[in-house]
Amino acid sequence: MSEKKEVLNVGIDLGTSRSSISASNGQRHVVESYVGWPLDMVARKVLKKPVLVGREALENRSMLDLHRPLEEGLIKDGSEKDEAAVRELLWHLLSLVGIDREDRNGLKVRAVVGVPAEALRVNKQQVRKAMQNAADSLMIVSEPFAVAYGLEALLHTMIIDIGAGTADFCVMNGRLPTEDDQRTLPQAGDFVDEQLMRLMRDRHPQAQISIHMVRTWKEESSFIGQQRTPVTVTAPVNGKPTQIDITQEMRQACESILPPMIESMLDLLSRVQPEYQEKVRNNIVLSGGTGLIRGLGPRLEAELQAVGGGKVRVVKDPVYVGSDGGLAISLDAPDSDWEKLSA
Amino acid sequence: MANVDRIKRDLLRDLVQQNVDLIHGRPSPKVRRRDGWRLAARVASLAFLSIALFGSSRLISTLGGPAPAEAVRSASAAAVVPASNPQSTAAETAVAATSPPQPIDAAVFPLAVHKVVLDPGHGGGSLGTRAPQGLIEKTLTLDIAERLRRLLERDAFEVVMTREGDQNVSLERRGALANQAGADIFVSIHLNWIESQRSRGVETYYLGPTDDPYLTRLAASENRESGYSMTDMRHLLDRIYAGVRQDKSRKLAETVQDALFQSLGQVNPGLEDRGVKAAPFIVLLTTEMPAILAEVSSLSNEEEARLLMKPLYRQYIAEALAQGVRAYARSVEGAPEGPEMPAAGEKGSDR
Repeated sequence: MSEKKEVLNVGIDLGTSRSSISASNGQRHVVESYVGWPLDMVARKVLKKPVLVGREALENRSMLDLHRPLEEGLIKDGSEKDEAAVRELLWHLLSLVGIDREDRNGLKVRAVVGVPAEALRVNKQQVRKAMQNAADSLMIVSEPFAVAYGLEALLHTMIIDIGAGTADFCVMNGRLPTEDDQRTLPQAGDFVDEQLMRLMRDRHPQAQISIHMVRTWKEESSFIGQQRTPVTVTAPVNGKPTQIDITQEMRQACESILPPMIESMLDLLSRVQPEYQEKVRNNIVLSGGTGLIRGLGPRLEAELQAVGGGKVRVVKDPVYVGSDGGLAISLDAPDSDWEKLSA
Repeated sequence: MANVDRIKRDLLRDLVQQNVDLIHGRPSPKVRRRDGWRLAARVASLAFLSIALFGSSRLISTLGGPAPAEAVRSASAAAVVPASNPQSTAAETAVAATSPPQPIDAAVFPLAVHKVVLDPGHGGGSLGTRAPQGLIEKTLTLDIAERLRRLLERDAFEVVMTREGDQNVSLERRGALANQAGADIFVSIHLNWIESQRSRGVETYYLGPTDDPYLTRLAASENRESGYSMTDMRHLLDRIYAGVRQDKSRKLAETVQDALFQSLGQVNPGLEDRGVKAAPFIVLLTTEMPAILAEVSSLSNEEEARLLMKPLYRQYIAEALAQGVRAYARSVEGAPEGPEMPAAGEKGSDR
């Protein structure tokens, strides 16, 4: 007689900037997707840990060999260190929901991991490899599909999931999306950061800035269109903290992702069966951290006017919507299906 | 609600199947169907080929007899099993089995594309073009070629690289490597520098003369390190331009250019289709198989340079090139091609 193991279902959104996990025991956590190893013996002694993950890694980056192991939602190609960093990140997420790396204590883990819509086969295999030993059974899903599943937006809906690395578009027709129903653009949150960094260097060459500072400013003050209050930040100029107005730069950087986004949205809409196009236009869902840019939804709605108008809504919980969707899939899949998906 | 539950059930069933396929390294059903056709066609043509080309007179003369018929049956079975259209495959096999022995012209059997030589442009002291962001053509072409190599090897192509690291390989040597390897096709990967920096786009070259001053400058720039004299060039060009290889090369260039523009245009709005062109690149001149030079992106355009910094975009380029190579291979493996007629007005085809 076989012993029936207790099952823990988890959904994981493995993101370029942040990764989140939702578990069937009610735990939900989000961490910054950074992993760092102490640079030397001194750092190891100070930090008292062999590896640091998330915010802790970011805050101690001067003492660490710091890795942001995902680029555009995918494990960076060819670097063993980055593959190791992804494993550490996954284990860290699992530990946050109560899975002990050394002793699972008879717990059976069923995981659903979201990857960008157009993630290539090799990248999916890399994710599977990274999850070996971490889960008993594993399913890889397209991230916007996980979002749609979690929101039960399965019919005549378009999901636009904009993270740091990629902007994923997916039209839900009540069936598993095919390549024709999905798009992934490399212009997303990181692209905005790069644009903002470039504009800052061009227009405020004296200011000493880092990509981490730029990223923080974007997360606090990103916008598209009109802004009532100016965006001012503090950055050292010749070592002296100085207030700089970056309203124009912020707008320009955020609006840089609009042209490819609008083109992809309208192109995907035009491929929907004609009788359902209006329904899809009125069911556009914006998710992901970069989807929170102020004014993005209204701007997309304005663009939809050219094709008969439509509605764009922003999800209430963009941080966890992907991992919650993964958890919902994990819970709904029957035991017999999970048996086929051993990690 | 019942409707949502039903949709969820169907979605989960397909999702699980997709993941089971992933575990077993099987392509998705859409691809599998297409590959099934390819496999069926390949097996059928192999069966036919083996009977027609390598079958001894004994085998052919006794096709109806019991013992050799077993060999034919097994060949027929191999041809029929994976076929989606059993009638046509059976018919093809029946033709092979009942036709009287005929002298075989090997030219009617299209040669399959098995071995691909990838040529990452520049390398070592030859940097190629450079973008202000610090991007160097030689590094990017190698990265894209390595990605393409992985994709093609997964499709069972044999891939040979003209360079695998940051070393300078002469243009002549690149061609010689491809010739020695017995490659079926040669794909040279480059990045463009367009004078109008607002322009961005993809263009693919095959060997041929040009009177376009821009293309002459581009070819001169790429040929700078070849060491060939003008007399050598003229001699080589005269030999090559009239060849059938030029038609095959143009076909390969058209297929790859189409894949590049169609695929990359989806993620890079504003990309221009700069077309298929003929130009006298030395690296194409020294090869003895269908050969192309693809300018897969423009480092002169700020936006494209920024995209090229992203591994995903470089992966997209590799995917598009792989798609072009696969499409060309399919076209060669498919129905025998008649003599290719040069397109009207095509530069280089009127000589």
